[in-house]
Amino acid sequence: MSKQIHLWAFLQGIGFFPTGWRHPRARPEGVFSMEYYARVAKMAEDACFDAIVFGDQLQSRGAGGRTPGRLAMPTLDPVSLLMAMAAVTDRVGLVATVSTTYNTPEMLAERFAAMDRISGGRAGWNIVTTAHPDTAPNFGEAELPPKDQRYAHAVDVVAKACELWTAMDRAGPALPQGRPVLVQAGQSPEGRDFAARTAEAIFCPAANIDAGIDFRNDMRHRIATVGGNPDGVRVMPGLSCVLGGTEEEARGNHAAILDMGDVPLAIEYLSESLCCDLTAYDPAAAIPVDDILAKTLLPPADVAKSVRPAAETGTPLGEFAANFMRHPRGHNVFVGTGEQMAEMMIEWRDSGACDGFTLQPSYMPGGLQDFAEQVVPVLQKRGRLRTEYPGTTLRETLGLPARLRVAA
Amino acid sequence: MTRSFIVSACVSDAGLAVPELARPVIAAAEAAGLDLLMLGRAGERPFDAQVLAAWAAPLTSRTAIVATVPASNAHPFHVARALSAIDFLAAGRTGWSVIAEGAEPAMPADMVRAARALWDGWGADTLVIDKDSGVYLNPDQVVRPNYRGPFFDTAGPVNAMRPLQGQPVLVLDGAASIGIDDADVVLVDGPGAPAGSARRLLKIAPGASVDAAALSAFFDAGEIDGVHFVLAEQAAALPAAIATIGALLVNRPGTPPPATGTLRERLGLALPSTASTQAKGARVPEYVA
Repeated sequence: MSKQIHLWAFLQGIGFFPTGWRHPRARPEGVFSMEYYARVAKMAEDACFDAIVFGDQLQSRGAGGRTPGRLAMPTLDPVSLLMAMAAVTDRVGLVATVSTTYNTPEMLAERFAAMDRISGGRAGWNIVTTAHPDTAPNFGEAELPPKDQRYAHAVDVVAKACELWTAMDRAGPALPQGRPVLVQAGQSPEGRDFAARTAEAIFCPAANIDAGIDFRNDMRHRIATVGGNPDGVRVMPGLSCVLGGTEEEARGNHAAILDMGDVPLAIEYLSESLCCDLTAYDPAAAIPVDDILAKTLLPPADVAKSVRPAAETGTPLGEFAANFMRHPRGHNVFVGTGEQMAEMMIEWRDSGACDGFTLQPSYMPGGLQDFAEQVVPVLQKRGRLRTEYPGTTLRETLGLPARLRVAA
Repeated sequence: MTRSFIVSACVSDAGLAVPELARPVIAAAEAAGLDLLMLGRAGERPFDAQVLAAWAAPLTSRTAIVATVPASNAHPFHVARALSAIDFLAAGRTGWSVIAEGAEPAMPADMVRAARALWDGWGADTLVIDKDSGVYLNPDQVVRPNYRGPFFDTAGPVNAMRPLQGQPVLVLDGAASIGIDDADVVLVDGPGAPAGSARRLLKIAPGASVDAAALSAFFDAGEIDGVHFVLAEQAAALPAAIATIGALLVNRPGTPPPATGTLRERLGLALPSTASTQAKGARVPEYVA
């Protein structure tokens, strides 16, 4: 049988492009409405996606204390959104991002046990250690614990949660999957080792097919090294897209989304990305590198790498911000026809660059709808995407053992 | 002011975490027109009422779900976010209750105050969402509350918008005081003089007989605002019990509550000025598919 492509829908907020909320087919008000979540959940389930994934952030908005006015960052609680979606769907998996740094194992275990039971075995946990420095004050702390400590703690939290799930499963009602599917997205060496020991599915950015092959090979090697089964783990790089009936139309659609941005929005987006409020600076003036490095909450060396090259060529702040916003987050952005996109996805899958993709719709819900209408039928016709779910639990959908009882 | 007789019930059964059991319970409450369905804690096998409340949101259009939150196993930042999301999903029909459950006695009040401060970091008219001008929200309406309490410090504001009701309806048991005296709904053991603006619901023990005429007289005298049935623990028995309550709902004293709107509107309850620096709930531009 041809290699199957797994699909996850990353649906948090307003979509992949910071400008996307202004698209005529975007419905940014929907983020506050049950009707919208019911609609997009059914869209994902009708297209036979493995799962819907919500990312999460625990920092309050606003670099340097100023909340952006043009950048839409609605971060409603992912667990609540996914559980409401569970009530109006039967098969699609529901994966919530939850922090090990700012939850106790008891809180996590109780929450995911309830999620797995009420969804009939469709819960997944995207395990994060929380990296945004502005998070700590919301939990009464001055700063984040260092990265190595966060990962060491995450290992303990996951182990304890697994113990608690085993006990809860025995006490009843049974957990339909034994425990939720464990998902991870770490990029650093610490993150990759943690994922190798823990995860059953892995997200990653991969800008091109070679980056995908390198990442998947690296993860499979790490998994085998710690005694795991590389075939029991799904590697799911991010993928966004802008489609059109012809290549030319798709390129026009892509340009139209990017052109919905303006310099004030771009500067807010850059401010959030660099953790440094730049909204008071003159966009026509030079990039204020020294101020940025002095004020940023991120490691200054990392920030220097992204701002220095442009500053040295004399690019003004506004132009730099506008360019920065045109290439969000390092993911692969496909621009073309639905047929071409399906072709590309099959090539990645057959080359060992991935087990499937985490689709990041360009804007919501139009971007998801376009993918479901223009790419899903092509993949199904080629025998690469299921036309019905194999079972009821997320584990079954992923091709993993239907139920897992024992701690890792 | 019009007053409606409020009918509430509480269930505490770990079995409710299973959809086959939870669906008929939610459906029975909704069909009977129960105003509030409180999800309690189930002792040794607790279930997460916030998860259940979110799940129940699309399954209800009248009955409001009240999630019981244990102060010992939660953080106000998470609680405030979850209840904000649930309140939007349930179109403003969300309530909450906080209990100590093994925590220090002062911890539940700290939880309530912290969550209220987090919600109040957002003004009612913060969201603009105007595609033409590119204005998503008004930054001047977002403030950092910097809440500091005996157990919880949280800078805030919550990163998810003020709830549709401003704050979900706070329901507290009068017999188990947590030191918060401006709850929206108080569960009482007997009729008595009103204290503050809270709605007072008379607790009715499992299996106790209901004297509709007496309840009506208490209501007319202003000694209660309704009833709160504490139901037997087995969730499977609930649809039958709720059907009995339904008889009371059909002939409820006072003005019938409005059929639509938020829980606060249904109960005729404004946000207590002592509980919030903001008088209103969130205004959100309408979603049109």
